[in-house]
Amino acid sequence: MAYAPPPSVPRRGAATPDRGVVFRIRRCDGPGKPSYWQEFEVAVPRNANVISCLQQIAANPVTAGGARTTPVVWDAGCLEEVCGACTMVINGRVRQSCSCLIDECAPREGDVVTLEPMGKFPVVRDLWVDRSRLFHGLARVRAWVPIDGTYDLGSGPREGPATQAERYVLSTCMSCGCCLEACPQFNLEPDEGRWETAFIGAHAISQARLFNEHPTGSQIKGERLDALMGPGGVSDCGNAQNCVKVCPKGIPLTESIAAVGRSVILHAIARFFRG
Amino acid sequence: MSAASPPPAPPRGALERHHFLLRRLHSLTGIVPIGVFLVAHLVTNSSLIWGKAGLRGAHPELGWLDGGIAYFAEEVRWINTQVPHLLLVEIVLWVSIAFHAGLGVLYARSGRNNVARYAYGGNRRYAAQRLTGYVAIAFIFYHVATLRWGWTFLVPGGTHWSAEFAGSTLAAAIKGGQAGWTLMGVGVALLYFVGVSATVFHFANGLWTAAITWGLTISTGAQRRWGYACLAMGAALMLAGWSSLAGALMMDPASAARVEAMVGAPAGPGARQADAPTHVAP
Amino acid sequence: MSQHRVIVVGGGLAGLAAAARVAEAGLPVDLFSVVPVKRSHSVCAQGGINACNDVARQQGYSEYEHFDETIYGGDFLADQHPVLEMTNTAPRIIDLLDRMGVPFNRTHEGYRDLRLFGGSLFKRTHFAGATTGQQLIYALDEQVRRCESEGKVAKYEFWEFLRPVVREGRCVGIVAQDMRTMQVRAFRADAVVMATGGCGMVFGKSTNSVICTGAAAARCYRDGVWYANPEMIQVHPTAIPGADKLRLMSESARGEGGRVWVPRRPLDERAPRDIPESERFYFLEEKYPAYGNIVPRDIATREIFDICVNQGLGVNGGNQVYLDLTHKDPEVLSRKLGGILEIYEKFVGDDPRSTPMKIFPAVHYSMGGLWTQFTRGSYAPATPLPKHRSASPPPIDARPGQGMLPGAPNNMMTNVPGLYAFGEVNYAYHGANRLGANALLSCIFDGLFCGASVVNFIRNDAPAGNPAADLPPAEFDAGEKRERERMNALLGTVADGRPDEPATNPYAIGKELGDEMTAACTVVRTGPRLEQCLRRLGELGERFARVKLADAAAWSNQSFAYARAIGDMLVLAQAIARGALERRESRGAHYRTDFPDRDDATFMKATVARCDARGVTSVALDPIDASLIQPTARTYGKKDDRKDPGKAAPAAARA
Repeated sequence: MAYAPPPSVPRRGAATPDRGVVFRIRRCDGPGKPSYWQEFEVAVPRNANVISCLQQIAANPVTAGGARTTPVVWDAGCLEEVCGACTMVINGRVRQSCSCLIDECAPREGDVVTLEPMGKFPVVRDLWVDRSRLFHGLARVRAWVPIDGTYDLGSGPREGPATQAERYVLSTCMSCGCCLEACPQFNLEPDEGRWETAFIGAHAISQARLFNEHPTGSQIKGERLDALMGPGGVSDCGNAQNCVKVCPKGIPLTESIAAVGRSVILHAIARFFRG
Repeated sequence: MSAASPPPAPPRGALERHHFLLRRLHSLTGIVPIGVFLVAHLVTNSSLIWGKAGLRGAHPELGWLDGGIAYFAEEVRWINTQVPHLLLVEIVLWVSIAFHAGLGVLYARSGRNNVARYAYGGNRRYAAQRLTGYVAIAFIFYHVATLRWGWTFLVPGGTHWSAEFAGSTLAAAIKGGQAGWTLMGVGVALLYFVGVSATVFHFANGLWTAAITWGLTISTGAQRRWGYACLAMGAALMLAGWSSLAGALMMDPASAARVEAMVGAPAGPGARQADAPTHVAP
Repeated sequence: MSQHRVIVVGGGLAGLAAAARVAEAGLPVDLFSVVPVKRSHSVCAQGGINACNDVARQQGYSEYEHFDETIYGGDFLADQHPVLEMTNTAPRIIDLLDRMGVPFNRTHEGYRDLRLFGGSLFKRTHFAGATTGQQLIYALDEQVRRCESEGKVAKYEFWEFLRPVVREGRCVGIVAQDMRTMQVRAFRADAVVMATGGCGMVFGKSTNSVICTGAAAARCYRDGVWYANPEMIQVHPTAIPGADKLRLMSESARGEGGRVWVPRRPLDERAPRDIPESERFYFLEEKYPAYGNIVPRDIATREIFDICVNQGLGVNGGNQVYLDLTHKDPEVLSRKLGGILEIYEKFVGDDPRSTPMKIFPAVHYSMGGLWTQFTRGSYAPATPLPKHRSASPPPIDARPGQGMLPGAPNNMMTNVPGLYAFGEVNYAYHGANRLGANALLSCIFDGLFCGASVVNFIRNDAPAGNPAADLPPAEFDAGEKRERERMNALLGTVADGRPDEPATNPYAIGKELGDEMTAACTVVRTGPRLEQCLRRLGELGERFARVKLADAAAWSNQSFAYARAIGDMLVLAQAIARGALERRESRGAHYRTDFPDRDDATFMKATVARCDARGVTSVALDPIDASLIQPTARTYGKKDDRKDPGKAAPAAARA
């Protein structure tokens, strides 16, 4: 959830004057309520990002038409693209709103910035969505190293720098959900009972690969692969490969999907012959 | 420990119980037997264009196109003499296609195309793969029903395809009649063009994604390189498909039938094609 | 045992470590967080985590020297025994994180790589790329998710802590609110662990996440929990000013030759490249010819602040100076500083290779926090030893239990029995100034080491025969009722209000609070200015009493939550300003121009703020445990005695 911090300090003698930018925001008062569009005009200083504009709207919620309304609700956290909270659909494309500069998404005079909540998750209110299913996916593939406990048992396994580099990239996944929002195979599923068999999405497949590659993590590789062989697992991927295009962290998600594809087939063959 | 994790909900139907097997069979049937047959089929058919070379000097009196007709006729005739094998192959093919198509439709319906928002190349191919799948189902059904099962009521001109007169009856079935082009024939020819193109795309792109699905191409570089290979393969097949079609369309059914008779057809196709309308295409 | 429960409030490193440790001991845990725990502020930590290691040890380094560095860096304000236990435990914590799968950077041979960090002559900082905090919290998040899937931990995400429930002097639960449904509900627990982090939002914009309001700590404080050293706020010299927050810019930019300057002429509106050398004021280089741009962190912070705030020479008249790398070879820059330059590019839109960066100091960390206790371990020298000579043999080894007694129920317990404070929200380890890469360590150490104390408290102490589950409902109902009333009162302010009227707009009040605290309570402090600040806080408090919301919705009402937090931040701000006013000396991050020297005789004590029932803050000085090391001048071997620990070894440090 976002505690909106106070709007920016006005700068004395700024070199470039603020310019008015219209924000077209798809709003919704709560689950089951209809969506509606509202427009706000925001005085945008140079280097403003979408978050700072939303903060201005929160402080003074008046539409472009001059009507008083409620502050727009959105999710935010670190504001430096490392927590994943402020993900939304900006001008039709999913991304983090903190790293979305206005000069970049509305460079010309008269450009409109369109903000929508992610469509693949149930809306809580306005731009705030409930991404619980994303974390459910992590539990589904047992995305953890099954250590014996948190007491001192000596050092972990040794690891070469090349493996570390490979695991590090996979481990930077911040569970923002961009890969799911852009995926044509991952669709809105408000019914929690069906999450277990609905498509799990690239992020969790990639996390399964991350932990399968860890010496201790690989102890439960079979359980992860069993989960990914079932309905909604890796074979539900349609190879549209949007995930890797929209991933803000540049995680090689399509490589993970292929790697897990190889693992599951080997796992299935081994299981067929070994029982 | 993980043993204490809640067990996954019991799968419901057979589709879910055998999810993985079905998915992999779906992918596999696309390549073997369907893809392999497609390659053989298009290579054979394209001999309408290159068959003169295949005659290796036999029938020197025939021109380039007539040579193709002759070669094609001999090939098809040979294939249709392999009766028990052919039947087996056909049954396997029909079952495979039905399986691949049925599951394919089911799988395609699980996705929501979003090319309008995310117009990346991969996403366009994803959408095209599903669209061409639907087109291919319709086309292959029409193609097999009219030319193999003899549903001549679907053929403008009512031509019944004959293995003995493979080229000429094919040309007549596509062009709309024994005498040449009809308006309906133009439609059928267009259907063939679209259908063959869609099928070839579906196969070539399917080969590319299958390599990911089966974990053969993992790195982005490998996927790109295999992509080029599939592109080349697809282009070659597309050429074969289009040349087969061109060969049929350039053919005059009547004179082609004479060539076919000359290289060994027991009798003219006349009996079956006597009813065919004889007007000449513009 | 099954009827006992533990509540952990906060899902950052400290909270997750505590949840894992307590759940492992067999006690069910309810974990509350205002965000999904994976999005907690711990993700923002970049540099690394300190611990003695085999390589450093063979060069003469020791856990004891790490302890000595931490006490010295904290300017002798921290209680010494807990710090000793923390530094002694550090190597074992690294091992554990390694076992959890944290992708620590590796050497060619496959061992954990190390980097140099401020305050030490030895490489003792373990790191995972430039996102160590993110990698550590993910490892703990994964372990807690595993506990959750085994039914040992229940998560309450998007739930906000509202108050502790205290019965007969013992904390027996909390009142919390679901931020989506707005349901207010009391939860019972036999122990409550506060792991709610820092309070950067009190200063408006900081390097902190928007959730770091300090409201949870303030709500405990308001309800009688003591708050110690509130004035100890760390300000980092180089951050990227943003319209929404201040993002950290690593010091390695200066280490690689970056020059700090402003135009000599105030309000010079020319582009930086059009300003000739002669009209540029390289103020650090002019004032500190020897060190130039790589002066220690606190000096750089104070000078930049002085240039902008007092002299009005900031770029474009704003609070910003140039950090210029454009004279360097762009290829070299990309190779050595690629990561941080990309952050700047991403958030500012300018390429630092061709345009000077604009930077300004930013509030970064709160050394102070909820007051906590501990039980001393076995190490008890007859008299405090002199400062440890680097690389000399340590007086003790690193066996557990010499600093704090493991499992003692009062370790990191506040003055309210059953209520604990772990991580940045307590005041225990960093004294007057935190060393870089010690924050991650203190959070995880608290969770693991003191998590065991929570378990022992429940098994052996008050809750043992009297579980919270069996208590009568009176206090729980009363707590719920008070919070519902508070909510309804705030929501009820909507009807007649003009939301954009600054006097009563919560966002305007919050902004003015941040501006005031930044101006009076950060880099440079004076008695009169702090008194003015306290008066101003009083006015803001009065305005807050008349606050008007723009949204009356009883569903996912963020502006309501923000306004409520502002009320609590005002309380905390008073404690910060009051503590700063009462500490009439300069120590660590606390710099008073009217009292520029350290005064050990009077002020080598913790400032303990207490809030009475009427909400009035009083401050007392409590003695600290300084029985292990004698205080010495904190000079870092320089003639100028204002050297900050943060930066004895400047260039190599941060990434």
